[in-house]
Amino acid sequence: MSVARTIREKLTAAFDPVALEVEDQSERHRGHAGWREGGETHFHVRIRARAFAGRGRVEAQRMVHKALAEELAGPIHALSLDLGGPDRP
Amino acid sequence: MTNPAHDAIKAEIENNDVVLFMKGTASMPQCGFSSRVAGVLTYMGVPFKDVNVLADESLRQGIKEFSDWPTIPQLYVKGEFIGGCDIVTEMTLSGELDKLFEEKGIPFDKEAADRIREANA
Repeated sequence: MSVARTIREKLTAAFDPVALEVEDQSERHRGHAGWREGGETHFHVRIRARAFAGRGRVEAQRMVHKALAEELAGPIHALSLDLGGPDRP
Repeated sequence: MTNPAHDAIKAEIENNDVVLFMKGTASMPQCGFSSRVAGVLTYMGVPFKDVNVLADESLRQGIKEFSDWPTIPQLYVKGEFIGGCDIVTEMTLSGELDKLFEEKGIPFDKEAADRIREANA
């Protein structure tokens, strides 16, 4: 299974999001540290879910880090996050 | 049992009001995310200590455990973990970073911070 698909499945299971976007931005980091041919190293993820409503930024990101601990210890080199409750634009 | 890397990290954040654990140095960053946070602090005229985690593998691993945060850069202000690149960027643009520095008594150039926000409006 692709890393992007694994991310999508794990986040869906963990947070039951109302919106979820997983973007492979590896190509933007071509040649940088951690980059590999074939991509799937640098991701941007946007999630809107009730689970994040009222949570601080550090707390919300830690929840995602925990859900993706295996991937962060493995194939993911960089993960940028945009998290919020369902009402956040 | 004490971990020497954790002790070294603790000493850095106790002895410096603003510490950025980053890949590379402020003058020669080795990663775009580290570069962005170092650039914001430098542009805002915030005095900070840059700690290059690439210089020491035990530090690179140790800071992840110490902060319970898997990625670098990591910003500490007065011993408090603030966040990484996403969080610092959001806080810069929302003005929360200014507020944090004001509350903690960290000097910074408010006009420079406003210029960052104007350029990204």
